Amino acid sequence: MVSVAEMPEITSQITVNQPEPISKSEIGRGMIEIEHLDFKYGAHQVLHDVNLSIPARAVTAFIGPSGCGKTTLLRCLNRMNDLIDGARITRGSIRIEGIDINTPGVDVVDLRRRVGMVFQKSNPFPKSIYDNVAYGLRIAGITKRTLIDEAVEKSLRSAALWEEVKDRLHVSGYGLSGGQQQRLCIARALAVEPEIVLMDEPCSALDPIATAKVEELIRQLKEQYTMVIVTHNMQQAGRCSDHTAFFYLGRLIEFDGTAKIFSNPAQRQTEEYITGRFG
Amino acid sequence: MITPRHTLGTFDEALASLRNNVLMMSSLTERSLDRAITGLFQRDDDMCAIAIADDEEIDQLEKQVDKDGIELLLRFQPVASDLRRVVSAMKLSSNLERMADQGTNIARRARKLNQHPALPETELITPMYTHAMAMFKDAIDAYVREDVQLARAVVPRDQALDEMNAAASRHLIERMAEDPAQLRGYLNLIFVSRCLERVGDHATNLAEDAVYAAAAEDIRHQHFPAAANE
Repeated sequence: MVSVAEMPEITSQITVNQPEPISKSEIGRGMIEIEHLDFKYGAHQVLHDVNLSIPARAVTAFIGPSGCGKTTLLRCLNRMNDLIDGARITRGSIRIEGIDINTPGVDVVDLRRRVGMVFQKSNPFPKSIYDNVAYGLRIAGITKRTLIDEAVEKSLRSAALWEEVKDRLHVSGYGLSGGQQQRLCIARALAVEPEIVLMDEPCSALDPIATAKVEELIRQLKEQYTMVIVTHNMQQAGRCSDHTAFFYLGRLIEFDGTAKIFSNPAQRQTEEYITGRFG
Repeated sequence: MITPRHTLGTFDEALASLRNNVLMMSSLTERSLDRAITGLFQRDDDMCAIAIADDEEIDQLEKQVDKDGIELLLRFQPVASDLRRVVSAMKLSSNLERMADQGTNIARRARKLNQHPALPETELITPMYTHAMAMFKDAIDAYVREDVQLARAVVPRDQALDEMNAAASRHLIERMAEDPAQLRGYLNLIFVSRCLERVGDHATNLAEDAVYAAAAEDIRHQHFPAAANE
C-alpha cells in the first residue's frame, strides 16, 4: 500500500505517453524513392511530377478519387505497366533501395519477386491451395520438396490462413471463400519472400469480417514488409496505414502521417476529399 | 471560410441540426444565468423559480445533442474538420449544461438571500457577473465564427475572474467575523461568487473547444510559468 506521503515521488516518475501523429518531418528516408515522375498512357499524361518517399516496414496508403493515378503509380513500383502497350514513364525515376528500377539492366522477374502484388479481385490459379502458394517458388527453380513444404506453411501462417486450410492443402483454391482466396493470394505473394507488398484495393470485394482479417494481416505484415495499399475506403486507410498519400488528377497533393491527414490535413483539397466535399 | 457542401446532403443537415441545438443551449443558458442574477439583484423569487425551471429544457437538449452526435458518428464516420465539429459540439453541450447548473445554483442561493434584508455586499457580484458573461459570449461567438484569435483571447481572461472571486471571498469572510448575524447571507454570496467563477471556467473550456474545432489545436492545460509554480 502506498502512503499519501510517497505519492508525489511516485507520480513524478510516471511518464505520460501522448502518441503524436507521425508528421512528415519524422518520415525518414524511404525504401522507395519516387522523383519527378511523369507517366503517360499514349498521349494521355496520368502522373505529373510525383515526388514521394515511401518508408520501409510501414504501411503507406494511396487515396484519391477514381482516375487520380494511384493504381498507375502502384503498378509502376513493380513495372506492371510494362505489360500495357503505350504505357510509359516519360520523366523521373523510381528507386528501390537506391536502385533505379527502370534502368535497362534491371531483371523485371526479380523485381516482381522483390515487389509482390495483391490485386483487387482475388485471383487464385486453378490449382490446389498448396500449388498456388508453391507456384512462385517453382518458377524460381526451387524443386526440393521439403523447402517448398516449409515455405508453403510459413506463407500460409503469415497470411493467417494456415489454421483454416492445413487439412485441405490439396483441394482447389477456388473452393475457398472470397476472403480466404484473397489471403491465399497474399500467401502466394509472400512465398517468394518479397521486400515490398503492393495491394490494390485488396478488400473491395470482401465482407466486413474478411476485410477485418485482411486488415489485421496488413498490420502484422508491416513488421517484416514494406506495404503500399491503394484503397477507396477512408476508414480502412485510417485503420491500416501509418502514412497516407492523397492524389488528385495525377498529382500528389499531400503526403503525411495518417493521423495527421485524417485529423488536420494541410491541404484544402485533401480535407474536402476525405470529408466528402469534393468536386 | 465557406465550406463546400458535403456529397451526402443528409450529413450537412445532421451537422447543422447538431450545431443549432448547441446554439439553442447556449441561448437558454445565457437566459437562465441572466434570470438567476436578476432574481438576486431584484430580489425576485419568481424570476429565481423560472431560472431553476429553465434547467430542465437545457438538460433535455444536452441529451439530444449527445444522441444526435453519436448517431452522426455512427452513420457518417466523419474525419478531419467534420469530426472535430461533431466532437466539439458534444463537448460544448456538456459545458453549457454545467454552466446552466451554475445558473440554477445561483437562483437557489438568491432565494435564500431574498428571505433576509438586502446585503450591500451583493454588489461584489456585479463585476464578476459582467466579466463571466463577457467571456461566455465571446467564447460562443468564437465558436460560431470559427474565430481562433478571439477564442484564444478568452482563456487568459479567466485569471481576472479567479482573482475577483478570491477577493470577494476574502471580503465576505471578513464581514462574517465582523457581523456574525449575517453569516448565512455572506456564505450564500460566497457560493454565488464561486458559481460565477465556475461559469468562467466553463467559458474557458468553450473557448478551448472552439480553438480545437477551428484549428485542430489542443490548447488545454497550457499554464503560464507563473501560474504553474503556484
